Amino acid sequence: MTDRMNPTTDVCLILEGTYPHVSGGVSTWTHDLIRAQADLSFHLVTISPLHAELREQYQIPPNVTGMTRVRVQGLPQGARCTKKHLGIFHRLEGPLSRMLSRGGMQDLAAIIEALGPARGQMGSRVLLNSIPAWNMLLDMYHSAYRQSSFLDYFWTWRALLGGLYSMLLPELPPARVYHAVSTGYAGVFAARAALESGRPALLTEHGIYTNERRIEISMADWLYELPSRHLAVDGSRQNLKDLWIRTFVGYSRACYEACSRIITLYEGNQAFQLEDGAPSEKLQVIPNGIDFERFSKICREGARRSPSVALIGRVVPIKDVKTFIRACSILREMIPDVTAWILGPTDEDEDYFRECRILVQHLSLEKTVEFAGRVRLDEYLGRVDAIALTSISEAQPLVILEAGAAGIPAVATDVGACREMIHGRRSESPRLGEGGVVTELSNPTATATGLARLLGDRAFYEKCSRAIRERTRRYYNKHDLDRTYREIYESHRRCPTAPAMGTDKTWPGSALNCAS
Amino acid sequence: MAGIGFELRKLTRRDDLLGVLQGTAHSALASTGPWLFTIVALAGIVLIGSNFVSREESFTFQLIVIYNFAFSLVMSAPVVLLITRLLADSIYVKQVERAPALFLFSLIVLFASQLLLVAPFYLLYVDLDAGARLAAMANFFLVTGVWVASVFLTALKDYRSVSASFAVGVTASLIGCAFLASRANVTGMLLGFNIGLAIIVFALAARIFAEYPYPVTGPLRWRMNAGRYWELALGGFIYNLAIWIDKWVMWLAPERKVLPSGMVSYPDYDSGMFLAYLSIVPAMAVFVFGVETDFFEKYLRFYREIQRHASYEAIRKYHGAIIRSLLRSMRNLSVLQGSICMVTILLAPMIFDLLGLSFTQIGIFRFGVLGALFHVLFLFTTIILSYFDLRRAALLLQLVFLSTNALFTWWSLQMGFAWYGYGYLLAAVVTFAVALLAAVHFIGRLPYQTFVRTNLSVQGR
Repeated sequence: MTDRMNPTTDVCLILEGTYPHVSGGVSTWTHDLIRAQADLSFHLVTISPLHAELREQYQIPPNVTGMTRVRVQGLPQGARCTKKHLGIFHRLEGPLSRMLSRGGMQDLAAIIEALGPARGQMGSRVLLNSIPAWNMLLDMYHSAYRQSSFLDYFWTWRALLGGLYSMLLPELPPARVYHAVSTGYAGVFAARAALESGRPALLTEHGIYTNERRIEISMADWLYELPSRHLAVDGSRQNLKDLWIRTFVGYSRACYEACSRIITLYEGNQAFQLEDGAPSEKLQVIPNGIDFERFSKICREGARRSPSVALIGRVVPIKDVKTFIRACSILREMIPDVTAWILGPTDEDEDYFRECRILVQHLSLEKTVEFAGRVRLDEYLGRVDAIALTSISEAQPLVILEAGAAGIPAVATDVGACREMIHGRRSESPRLGEGGVVTELSNPTATATGLARLLGDRAFYEKCSRAIRERTRRYYNKHDLDRTYREIYESHRRCPTAPAMGTDKTWPGSALNCAS
Repeated sequence: MAGIGFELRKLTRRDDLLGVLQGTAHSALASTGPWLFTIVALAGIVLIGSNFVSREESFTFQLIVIYNFAFSLVMSAPVVLLITRLLADSIYVKQVERAPALFLFSLIVLFASQLLLVAPFYLLYVDLDAGARLAAMANFFLVTGVWVASVFLTALKDYRSVSASFAVGVTASLIGCAFLASRANVTGMLLGFNIGLAIIVFALAARIFAEYPYPVTGPLRWRMNAGRYWELALGGFIYNLAIWIDKWVMWLAPERKVLPSGMVSYPDYDSGMFLAYLSIVPAMAVFVFGVETDFFEKYLRFYREIQRHASYEAIRKYHGAIIRSLLRSMRNLSVLQGSICMVTILLAPMIFDLLGLSFTQIGIFRFGVLGALFHVLFLFTTIILSYFDLRRAALLLQLVFLSTNALFTWWSLQMGFAWYGYGYLLAAVVTFAVALLAAVHFIGRLPYQTFVRTNLSVQGR
């Protein structure tokens, strides 16, 4: 077995519901990260739903030396409950109740402590199905949920605790640095890793996990959908939904407290992180970067053609393509010979695509708007004058940078990192100026006006074009950003091992964070 | 965005607490019927026969009927319990189209398998005249037919028409016997008795086909989940074996009788016991009809309210109601059956005198009456346990009874005539004590039992 105190694996990446089994933005980011740090060795902890079929969607790079698969709620049966387990529940109830209401790292540490050194042998028999566990469930129910549907509470309790235990029971792969790519379950695992190993943990949060959960849970009518006759059920359902959310906030807080660095893609996320309890001194922005070399070389076609705009993205509701189509209708009033492309796959939501085409017909835009489908972006960028982005939700859409590197300004809604990319971060110095226009959400007139201004005002256009290109070069060059991660990894890799839990009676939880 | 989408839908929708329970409960209740029928029929025959005991012919007839009831019951039990459950399940999901097919199919299976044992026994081993051999075999299969048919009717909960069919059939049989006992030979008596049985079987079959007017269509592929049902089949077998094991052990007694036909029995023990069993008929009737209304209502409410999102407070309340109902029933039954038992034991000499029974049986009879009291209380307890899907516990209790009954009876056999019947009593008392402990243990923590132990979604069965 590898030496616990001096592990050979450099980085253990903790991935929840993403790489390498699910394709998408975060997965691509992870894949690029591993390949960019080719001389560091990686171990992957992949966290996935209990029954999900796992198929690798990526060619795993050779510097990945191992993989641990963890299933949420996937507990072994484990040993039978005996008298010696009784004490566990006495110690467990306090920190568990706090973890499910306003938890943090100290509670997580207390839970790990309570489970004790023999937790590898425990499983659902002891922790979920035993009489002592049942009595603890009743205590927790009575302390705050006595009016709630017991059936709902029962399943909620099992799901929450089963999920938590399933992060704490598996053996911890040794590594010099732990790096979670989201909070949530991955965050719990990272916090646990830091606590148990004394090695530093990092967090890169792309979207704000608790926000996504909040939306998901509040919209989840099916969560507690069975008809009911009992009093106060609606209220109690709300209570149980709050329980879910508070628990996830607690997981995030524990992760924030245990990690040495809390990295996100753009400043806008940091307000949420602070709100969920992240210490401000650990916050850092490292945006996603693009291959500036490649995109800056794109040759722009000359002026002897009609002006053109493009929306680059999948034709799905979240991109709000309909607003773009309406904007095109308004834009045509101002610039009759304008061409508008929609560049992106149309097969993901067939119904939405059909509705978009009907809208094009209604507005008689057949000659102006063209669905070009999946295209080679480099070819089109040479012919596009401005890009539009009408999404109602984004993290850090790279198209703004890819177009920006080619000197194409953008008109984008004020979501995710769009404002930062177009106007510059607050800390930007010297100020590079605006690289396009930021608009309200779902406002076709604003989008059309912005595009018309870019296409009609030559001087403004040139200014934006220069600004966005320069900003992309300075702050969003993937090459530079890879180096930033490299430096963070290096400094944390060399950190001395902090006293781990259980090795020292006077374990100082706060001494965890590597001073780097 | 990384992260796992919610998987809760599956978790909260797995609400299969209630559905599976009813079938099991029903199977347990249904198994009291055949025993009741056996008691009445055999005690009746013994009573009638005791007046003609001198006649070898009448005695042979009695023994054939006893043999047939005993072995048919034990050998049919696995299939009978299985179809009880299958039927209850298909009634629960409201798909009873295949009920007639199930009826005929199980009859064929039982007849075919039992023929393999019955034919050699009556055609080769036993020495009887040809007519008696055939009549005995017909009798055996009619008895089997009664077990199968009664499954379908108890499932209908149409106790009135079932009771009516049985009453008419048994009366016809017993009258036939009484009339023929003094004059006819074995064949004649068997035929008379068979007529009564045939009335029952065909009346019940007619009722079944009227209730399930569906064509019998093959192929008969029943989705049998062997893993889930073996306990049931085994349980039925053990339950019925346990009822008979003490008689079979006693057939080894030095006082036993070997008929010229080659059939063995110990008539004093058998008839003493059959008569003793008669004393629990009132308790059984009270249980079957009383428990169905009072307890079952509380029981259903407990599960229904859980599914209707009751708070734990409310669940506790409904749990309390179940316990109170059970205690009340238990108390009433104990008082009723206890008094009947006492009176019967005290008045035994008078009863024997009145019915003209042999006084050699009186000790066995008294032990039997007292044993039957505990036996019936134990039986009710296991039925209650089955209601809560505690099949393993119920099965274990049957095993306890089977082994103690065999063991203690064998021991009483060693101790001599004065102790005959004491083994059965002791076995019943011990098993009842164990059953009571099990019931207190399981039903006392019913919410835990329901949510965790017997919850299919939790146990992942």
